Amino acid sequence: MERPQNSVVRTPIDSIVAQRRSKNKSYRQSYRSCLGAASRLGHTPGWTARRLNTSRRTKSHNITEKVNPEDLALLVKTEWQLSYVTPLYQFRHTQLRSYSRQLSAFITAEKQQGLAVEVEGAQTSFRVSFSVVQGLGETDDDAETVLVQIHSKPVFAGKDEAQKLVWSGWLTCINGNPEYLHSLPKDFTCLPLFGSRGAENLTSLVKSWFQQTFDCCFGPLEINQTCLQWLAALWTNCHIESSIQHLKMIWTLPVEPPLQITYTVNPQDAWELWNSVRTPSLESREEEETARSIDIEEVTRFMQGLMSHFYRHFRLDLSAGRLSQVSSALGSAKFSGRVKMSNSRYVLTTLSLLTECALLKMPI
Amino acid sequence: MDNTVKRLLERLVRRIPSRMLKTTLDKWSRLTATQRQSIDYTESKWALTEKLLAICEVFGCSLTVLVSPWFHTDVIENPNLGMWHAFQLMDPQDDAHSVELTQFKEQFKSHLSELIRHVSIKIKKHTDEAVWIRIAWGDTFSRPNHLKPTYVVHYLQTPYVFLSSLTSKQKPLLSQALVLSTRYQAIKDANLSGRKLTAIRDLLMKQYLQVFPTKFPSPLAERNRVVSNLHIEKEQAGSAANRHQMACEAFGDGLLPQLQSAVYKLETKFRDHTNKTMTERDEPFRCVVKFASTNLLESLRHSASSGVASTPVTPLLSSVPLKGKNYFVITDNGPGPSSQK
Repeated sequence: MERPQNSVVRTPIDSIVAQRRSKNKSYRQSYRSCLGAASRLGHTPGWTARRLNTSRRTKSHNITEKVNPEDLALLVKTEWQLSYVTPLYQFRHTQLRSYSRQLSAFITAEKQQGLAVEVEGAQTSFRVSFSVVQGLGETDDDAETVLVQIHSKPVFAGKDEAQKLVWSGWLTCINGNPEYLHSLPKDFTCLPLFGSRGAENLTSLVKSWFQQTFDCCFGPLEINQTCLQWLAALWTNCHIESSIQHLKMIWTLPVEPPLQITYTVNPQDAWELWNSVRTPSLESREEEETARSIDIEEVTRFMQGLMSHFYRHFRLDLSAGRLSQVSSALGSAKFSGRVKMSNSRYVLTTLSLLTECALLKMPI
Repeated sequence: MDNTVKRLLERLVRRIPSRMLKTTLDKWSRLTATQRQSIDYTESKWALTEKLLAICEVFGCSLTVLVSPWFHTDVIENPNLGMWHAFQLMDPQDDAHSVELTQFKEQFKSHLSELIRHVSIKIKKHTDEAVWIRIAWGDTFSRPNHLKPTYVVHYLQTPYVFLSSLTSKQKPLLSQALVLSTRYQAIKDANLSGRKLTAIRDLLMKQYLQVFPTKFPSPLAERNRVVSNLHIEKEQAGSAANRHQMACEAFGDGLLPQLQSAVYKLETKFRDHTNKTMTERDEPFRCVVKFASTNLLESLRHSASSGVASTPVTPLLSSVPLKGKNYFVITDNGPGPSSQK
């Protein structure tokens, strides 16, 4: 979908840059238009373009080599609420300190709103820190992941008590679509996936600060059916390397009152089923089992197998309902956009999938 | 005043919802009218407890005295706290059916006291033929713990017993006492559990509206039906009525007992003609399926009548009301609902 040049408002005054832009006919391409020419013809993007990649490579990455294990420990084993973010304008990784100060002042100001008199002692000071988690990106196009943490003293803390971490969040882009990333004008940084954990009011404050400062937009990221099915298959695929302990799927059926079905499969049996639906590898034997690429058809066959086994017993068609949660020892993901990664080896695979989801959900 | 009594009183007061406090305390015969009037119900529960403790100090409440009125309101009127498990007594002896209340009470108390030294038992017969037993367990060295009592509900002349809050250590003692006092020979788990006592009782004893298969089930047609689309209605009427009838036959009509969940442990072989590898496997495909809802039977009935579940309803699902169970282990060799195509 062609985007009219209303970004002219933010065009830098530097004329050289403006010239270059017009040369490259670079109106901002929408993500969907990158995926298929057909979508440029109609007024609405073609539905065929709005799909996740149909195949992906999975590789367990020993990313402790690349990434600081302390930073990694912050990401895993907690549940994050996800949102998508439109590209940030003039975000500089070099100005993180300044951002920390600005955000801290913003939060303090917002909290003080409405207080006519300076309240003694009830001042909760917020210390914000922006940091970079280096090495998390897969390709050179991926912007570095930014981690935001807010520390504050609990309300009735003693004088000497240290500030505790009350809120944390991160912005990331893993394996972002290169065409789309290249089509962005120079000053935009694309970090489409935002995860947050902590009090809801702090989350909305952080979001509004980002929106004000970088002229971006946040929106809820719902993890759709296909994505959840991908996660189920990807995690089962890793059973050989790290046991998933169980594969649990929760469906909700639209009956009155709503019926919730929790389907937990023994990990070994799930893996054997997964293995049986894989198309035989045409590539050389030397290639690692787990590094083979996985196709959407294999994922579909896997889910069909599970659902047909269920149908055989209960004569209840699970596809009439909605898959709302998938979890295993490697993590969990819910339709509402909550995700937890429990094993650092698969962080990149999960995040690439979620980055794709975020890019697809973005309205521009 | 004894610390345990204090804690017990606090806990009991806390469990009763504030709006029911007045009615509860009114039922307590120990309080005189003046004392009752002196209690201010607008105070916080904490203040109320202190007031009651002061009153109790005056005439030295013993634990059992304290417990007796609360027993009624604590559980009998709030039977939905905690999980209830159903058990069934097996192999009645000749005189099992003629056991009546006083005999049962005496026998149960004497048997249980023989088995365990310090135990506090209170038995009460409710209006609906149910016998409620409250047991506070102690052991050779400690006094009965009133903060974690076990509740037992038994319907005389039926083989059904419902238990709540029982640990595995206490289970054999209680089973023994129950079996001896009811004149049966054994007791087994009925594989039925739920939060609402009334629901599992109705289910087990089939006290809900059941529908039996008939040859000519068509009901009277209503006069002023609002029809959205005549053609669709006509086409769908037959099959919709059919589904509804079968759903009701499987689960019952009207208001159904409120069961919260059903768990199926499946250990059957994977059979799918499109997947040769898995079908040839010898080992079973192990999985556990749990159905959960605020009213499980209604959800299942609705799913059958709306077509989400194919009719006729599979025996696996209809076993819940039919057998009165909500925990099943299904294997290929098991009777009935196994190895379905």
